[in-house]
Amino acid sequence: MNAIETHGLIKHFGKRTAVDGLTMSVPEGSITGFIGPNGAGKTTTLRLLLGLVRPDAGSATVLGHSLTEFERYLPRVGALVEAPAVYPGLSGRTNLEVLARLGGHPRSRVGEVLETVELSDRARDRAGTYSLGMKQRLGVAMALLPDPELLILDEPANGLDPLGIIGMRGMLRLLRGQGKTILLSSHLLGELEHVADWLVMLHEGKSVYCGTARELLSQRVELVIEPEDDLQRELVTRITNAAGHAVTTEEGALRIACPAGFDKALDRQARETGVTNLTIRVEQPSLEQLFLALVKGQRP
Amino acid sequence: MTSVIRAFGSEVLKFRRWSVLAGTGAMVLVSTFIAYLTFHQIASGATGKEMTGLIEAFRTPQGLVAVIGQARSVIIAIALIMVAANLASEWTLGTLRNLLVLQPHRLRWLAGKMLALVLFVLLSMLLTLVVSGAFILILAPGQGIRTEAWTSADGLGIFVEFLGNEALCLVGISALGMLVAVLTRSVVTAVGVGLAYILVLEGIIAVVAPEVSQWFPGRVFNTIVGATVPMVGPTPLQGYPAALGAALLWIVGLVVVSAIVFPRQDVKA
Ligand SMILES: Nc1ncnc2c1ncn2[C@@H]1O[C@H](COP(=O)(O)OP(=O)(O)OP(=O)(O)O)[C@@H](O)[C@H]1O
Ligand SMILES: [Mg+2]
Repeated sequence: MNAIETHGLIKHFGKRTAVDGLTMSVPEGSITGFIGPNGAGKTTTLRLLLGLVRPDAGSATVLGHSLTEFERYLPRVGALVEAPAVYPGLSGRTNLEVLARLGGHPRSRVGEVLETVELSDRARDRAGTYSLGMKQRLGVAMALLPDPELLILDEPANGLDPLGIIGMRGMLRLLRGQGKTILLSSHLLGELEHVADWLVMLHEGKSVYCGTARELLSQRVELVIEPEDDLQRELVTRITNAAGHAVTTEEGALRIACPAGFDKALDRQARETGVTNLTIRVEQPSLEQLFLALVKGQRP
Repeated sequence: MTSVIRAFGSEVLKFRRWSVLAGTGAMVLVSTFIAYLTFHQIASGATGKEMTGLIEAFRTPQGLVAVIGQARSVIIAIALIMVAANLASEWTLGTLRNLLVLQPHRLRWLAGKMLALVLFVLLSMLLTLVVSGAFILILAPGQGIRTEAWTSADGLGIFVEFLGNEALCLVGISALGMLVAVLTRSVVTAVGVGLAYILVLEGIIAVVAPEVSQWFPGRVFNTIVGATVPMVGPTPLQGYPAALGAALLWIVGLVVVSAIVFPRQDVKA
């Protein structure tokens, strides 16, 4: 079962297309990493799923209900969208009580979520006096308030200290253990590698990868080539680009993120043009390198 | 219905902010000060031409209302700012996205919030009139002014009638503030547009084409109060019943347009 499914979702803002025919899925009970460069359309997609903005085309289902009936599924969803929005003149606790009253959640829940995000000792202070990370914690507490089945978090680790990030990791795993689904947009790819079991990668409003994190990480390799001269460098770049993969240069070495097996094809094609002394090292890529490759590979 | 009550309760919690309480404070202080100045001028025997009506009314049962009602335009302006800024701040702060995920029925949220806001504005107005009225009543004997006419059954009747019309006026102003906030979605723009409309635009039209402007919302909300006590504002050219009907129609219209626009808007805040 999928907690979220979208089909050809489109959203324009004036002439700009923020989400451009997005088809993706988020399996129930997963921690799904939602990644993509700035402006890829992640936040807009989350707003669409939350009924805050209307799609221009396409459809989606969330927790078994169509996007158009967002009143039906939103009571089971908790969300932090973009930077946390708080009333600076109210205490952290009152900020949560405002939302608890609106959603009809018991007051005791406010104390619980404050404990979860470790903000209890500052809960009586005005939210306007909070540090960046403390505001972020308050935002996460707001998302947790309804004890949601589906938790949508937009860059929740923004501004958190290392301890906070580790705490967040533990919290997300705990919630997944309780059977909840978490859709997590983040630029901290190293962090996502730790927790995500499903990945959706967005580029210019489209999905460039939607599948298990393990598959992406294991079916892909990174080739490292140290060319001996410019001729080799050009040759490798040409063959790789022709195959639709991107080449990045790091300290003189060429790095290519590609499906496993491309090293053989590259070597064969190089030999065909008479280059026999190419040394290709195959490495296990990080999510960050895959991200760069997928995103750059999309550009002609 | 429960969700409207929840939205109301949630809104009440937000009154604990200085930015909200400052509106009430300003209303009470400025109105009392203006009432005091007016009272002082009359009590010390001022005789301006524009004051004659006021001086005549001063010793009648209308006297107290005529004095404390001098700050009416300030009350209207502050009420408009309070409603428009408060509602628009949900967009400016971005808090609207939190609220609408918890209460996706947007109109239920808006209804609960506006009920709380209107109640708050009316209580602020009541507090203002009570404070400035009490202040004048306390000052009067010291200046040798007799207050029996003001506190007579007649005087109290006029006060209550004034209060009723003033409440309706502020309900109308709140509806106007709501629509302006929903359309502008920003505190600064909402306050600017709201004040510019009511103070400048309607003012200009009132000078060039009074027979048209007498039907405009800001004008009818204002003149229904002037109908009770002519000293406190313009009187309705079209007569009280017609002005009252127009005021009620405007309130319905402003609410209906807000209720059509708001649920269809993209929340990009
Ligand atoms: N309210 C808006 N008005 C106009 N354009 C918008 C609006 N919101 C988003 N956009 C545009 O839509 C595109 C996608 O924006 P979005 O905020 O969804 O990106 P994102 O993936 O969340 O980026 P980031 O990683 O920087 O948060 C961008 O080009 C952005 O400029
Ligand atoms: Mg974003």
